[in-house]
Order: sequence, then C-alpha cells, then structure tokens
Amino acid sequence: MLKINPLTRKRLNQMAVNVAILLVIVFAMIPIATTVLISFKREQDVIRKPPVIFPCDTPEKSFDLRACRWSTEGYYRVLAPKPSKTSPLGFVLTGNMLRTYLPNTLLYASVTAFIVVFLAGMSGYAFSRYHFRGYRALMTAILAITGVPLLTNLLALYQMGVILRKADLPFWDDRIFIVIVYIGFYLPLSVWIAKGFFDAIPRELEEAALIDGCTPLCALWRVIMPLAMPGLTAIFLLTFVNVWNEFIAAYLLIAKNEYKTAMYGLYDFLGQNIINVQVIAAACILIATPVVILFLFTRRTFFRAMVEGAVKG
Amino acid sequence: MQKTALPRSRKRRFQNTLPFWLILPTLIVLLVVQVYPALYTVWLSFHEREPKGWVYVGWGNFQRLFHQSLFHESIGHTIVFLVGYTVITMTAGFFIALLLNRKLRLSGLYITLLFIPWILADIIAGMVFRLLVIPDYGLLAGFLQNPAIFPPKGLSVLTAVPPHPWFGDFPFPPAPAMILLILASSWRALPFITLLLLAAMQTVPTEIIESSRIDGANGRQIIRHILIPLMLPTMVVALFSLTLTGVNSVGMIFSLTGGGPGTSTEVLSYLLYTIGWNQLRFGRAAALALMMAIVNWLLITGTLRLTRVEERSR
Repeated sequence: MLKINPLTRKRLNQMAVNVAILLVIVFAMIPIATTVLISFKREQDVIRKPPVIFPCDTPEKSFDLRACRWSTEGYYRVLAPKPSKTSPLGFVLTGNMLRTYLPNTLLYASVTAFIVVFLAGMSGYAFSRYHFRGYRALMTAILAITGVPLLTNLLALYQMGVILRKADLPFWDDRIFIVIVYIGFYLPLSVWIAKGFFDAIPRELEEAALIDGCTPLCALWRVIMPLAMPGLTAIFLLTFVNVWNEFIAAYLLIAKNEYKTAMYGLYDFLGQNIINVQVIAAACILIATPVVILFLFTRRTFFRAMVEGAVKG
Repeated sequence: MQKTALPRSRKRRFQNTLPFWLILPTLIVLLVVQVYPALYTVWLSFHEREPKGWVYVGWGNFQRLFHQSLFHESIGHTIVFLVGYTVITMTAGFFIALLLNRKLRLSGLYITLLFIPWILADIIAGMVFRLLVIPDYGLLAGFLQNPAIFPPKGLSVLTAVPPHPWFGDFPFPPAPAMILLILASSWRALPFITLLLLAAMQTVPTEIIESSRIDGANGRQIIRHILIPLMLPTMVVALFSLTLTGVNSVGMIFSLTGGGPGTSTEVLSYLLYTIGWNQLRFGRAAALALMMAIVNWLLITGTLRLTRVEERSR
C-alpha cells in the first residue's frame, strides 16, 4: 500500500471536500447564471436554433471574446426609458414594472414588516414574561395557526375582498386589504420567533430596572427593546422577503392594475413575451436583485431567525 | 411621566392586565385574517353560487368533487410530486450538510452562496427553470431535443405528453414537466433543508464520532448508526416541513408549467386555483380547500407531537 503522510492525507481530504462543495455550488448556480446570460442577449441571439450559451460565435470560430454581442435590450424593454426634457437625467423610465409594480411591492413589504415586528414584539414579550391564565392554550392556538397555509384561506379572503370592495368604505382600497392579509399570515411564526429571542434575554435585567423605579412598559422600552433589536431585525427581514416574494395572494386579491405587485408584473410578462425571453430574464434579475443583495448583507441575522423559527415549527 | 396622573387603582389594573393588552392586537388580526376566513371556508364548502345567490347544497360540493376525474388525477400528481420532492431534497440536503460539517475555512461563504436559490421567489425560480427548457430556444433544449440522445424524437419538456402509466391510472412514471417541477422545487427548498440538517449535525458531539472511529467504525457505519439516529427528530421535522410546503406551494407551477402540458402537473394546490378562479366554482374549491386544510392540520399536529416528545426526552 502506498504510504501517505497523515498530514498530507488530511490536506488532500480537505481539498476533496472543498472541490465537492464547489461542484455543488456551481451546479446550483447554473440556472441563475444562465438567466443572467439570457438577460444580456439580443433578440437575434435568444431565438437561435440550436441555442448558444454565449453570444460570442463568429462564422469562423465558435467562441471569440471580441465578437461577443452583449446587449441590454431586455432591460431596456422592461424599463422603457423615454427621452424627457423635464427630467434631470434627460429620460424617464416608463415601464410599468419600475413605475407601478416595484414601488407597490416595496410599500407592502415594508409596511407589513414594520407592523409585524411591532405586533410580534409586543405579544412575543408577553408570552415570554407572563404566564397568565390561558397562556398555554393561546400559545398552542397561535402555533396551530402558523401552519394554516395562505392557499386554503384564499377563497374566503377573496370573497371578503369582493364584499369589502362593494361596501365602498371610505379610505378603503385593496392595498390596505392585502397588507392586513399579509400581516395575518406572517405574524404567527414571527410571534414564536420573537418569544424565542425574548426568552434568551435574562429576566434579572428587567427586574433590576423595575426596582430602580421603571414601570413594566418603561422596562420593556428602555431595557429589553435594545437587547431584542437583533431579533426584531431578523423578523423584519424575514417578513420583508416573504412579502416581496409572495405571488398568489397578490395576484388574486388585488383587483386594480395600479395596485398590483412586481411578482404579478413578472407573470404578466410571461404571457406577453413568449419569444423574447431576454425580457423575462431581465425582469427576473431586476426583481430578485434587491432581496439577494439584502440577504447577502444580513445573512447572519437571517440564519438566526430561520433556525429559531424552524426549531419551533 | 403622564401615567402618574392616573388614579392608583387604574394604574395597577392596567399593569396587571398588561400581557392581555400586549397580545390583544395580535389576536384581533389573527381572528380577522385567519380564524374568520377558515370558518368562512367551511361555510363556503356547503354552498354554491347560483344566479340568485348562495344556495345551501349540503355535501353536494364534496360529492361532485369526488366524481371529478381531475380530482383523482391530481391526488396522484400530488403524491408523485411529494415523494420525488421530499426524497430528492432530503437526500441531497443530507449529503451537502455532511460536506459542510467539516471545519472548512470557507464554509461561511459556501453556505451564503448555496442559499441564494432559497431567497428567490418561487415564481422566479419557476421562470428560471422554464427559460432553460423553452422549446427550441432554451439552453438545455438543444441537448434535450437532440433525437440522438432522447430517441425517437428528442424531448421537449414543456410539451411532451406523459408516458403511459404503469399502475392503472396512477400517473407514474411522471411526465417530463413533472420531473422538471420536482427538480425546480427541490432546488429552491434545498438550502433551507441543508441548513436545518447541518444545525442538527453540529449538535452531535464529536467525541461520540471520534470514539466510534477509534473503535473501528467506517464512515458509512458512523452515518448509519450514529448520525442518522441522533438527527432523526430534526430529519422528521424537515420532512414534515417539506411536505407542508410541497402540498401548499403553487407559485412555481404558475410560472413553470401552468399545470400543463395537458393536466400533467396539475397538483391539488393548482387544482384549487383552477376550480375556484377558472371554473368559478367557489363552493367546490372551498370543499377542496377544507380537505387540504385538514391534511395540513394533521401534518402539523404530527410535527408538534414529535417535537414535544423530543423535548421531553432531553
């Protein structure tokens, strides 16, 4: 048998593991990479038979870096810039995606996330610190609700939406409705995550504040909140991304086009651009980039919330 | 502070009921958005809309649903989907977690990169996979539609008819589009399951593994007799959570296959949409929703019981 120095062997082993993981990552990245490639192609290169991966072939050579025909046509068609005299940049972006759908998504996601953090913080704190009558029953009820899927409630919510729209309430529109629906759906899990984070904060800190003459609310606000901030940020991010990515409720519950979200816009693009897939690819990249960047900057917080949430249910 | 202006007894009462006030808003929201619609769904499932308004039909919706051949077909599709989705995701997740469980210098970077598919919306993930196989123009279409590789005519994933079923009407082997749907769903769920399994793997004390290695156990034996038994509770939780998301996820079908070709990717969640919003049979769709909610509820109580057993055994 070949004798290998144990140290070398260990290093070889490490290298093999690294290579294996890199292979997995490359494999997992292929769909994303191809989408990015497609989004930078011209229409003529997208509809070629057989398809080419890189639009870099010339009649003589199959790959020539200088002959690459990259283009931003897809993005151009999504954003639809038009020259304008009044705009300081000299043009305005007229695409529905950027003018209507993305701002709506941003609005719903941030408002929902703020309210969910606020409500989940309050009730998570109460569940963590007080063992009142009916405590266990309420906790279990909330946990049971955590599992109710948005999908099976959609029929009833749709009917409620129709009735509310007919009732013609002042100040009421689909935007308020969808935000309330989102709050209701992302709140239960957030309550659990918040409770977990509050449980990890020692009670002694709070008791000390109470002895020093702070009221319970003041202790909550001045002592606990700063310590709970990382946890609440995690809930905010998780809710934000969930709402950003949500499709079916936004698609079915919002009637007016001007209130619809980016995911709906994307689905709409799919119907309009059967051949021009570079437009779809560009729209995908535009919508996904903000949350991917958000995730890359806050991944630690994310993982903490996810593990906390997963352990609970 | 303003509070001191309150009479002492009122202040005392407010403080004693503080937890109630803290929870109240959450309860109201949950009652409005979760409990009321759930009860409304039950009501809907016993009614159907006629031109003159809602009419009570008793169990009629359920009966008609059971007689709908598409319903039986989608149960088959859902089972095929769930089995493929859970098996692929759990197996791949376990092996990737095994790789990541070594102390690697770059494992933080690896996990971050691996996690990107999870952060994408399901509808975007479906779109991304659709772009790969769009007939004639998708990047994989050149390979898949090559008659030399897939005789006799090459394979066009989004339009190929499902193969002839082997067991009666049960849709197995699945249509190519269903396989693509399974792969795309697994691709998106994999990061989460990997992280979950990795977290469980890291709680297994290294002493146990070291000592068994000294006792002469090889890698496969360690996995089989030490890692898997110790990780079993988490694996069951992961399996349940996969099943839950698998039963309820629908966004990807919209962008990937739209239920087609034909009805070959019409799973129960998409059938709910088809009956409710394409056929406009809200009562019947509510009956389906009710049954799906019961399945969900059983899965959740199962998970809860298991986690509780696990907590007790600690």
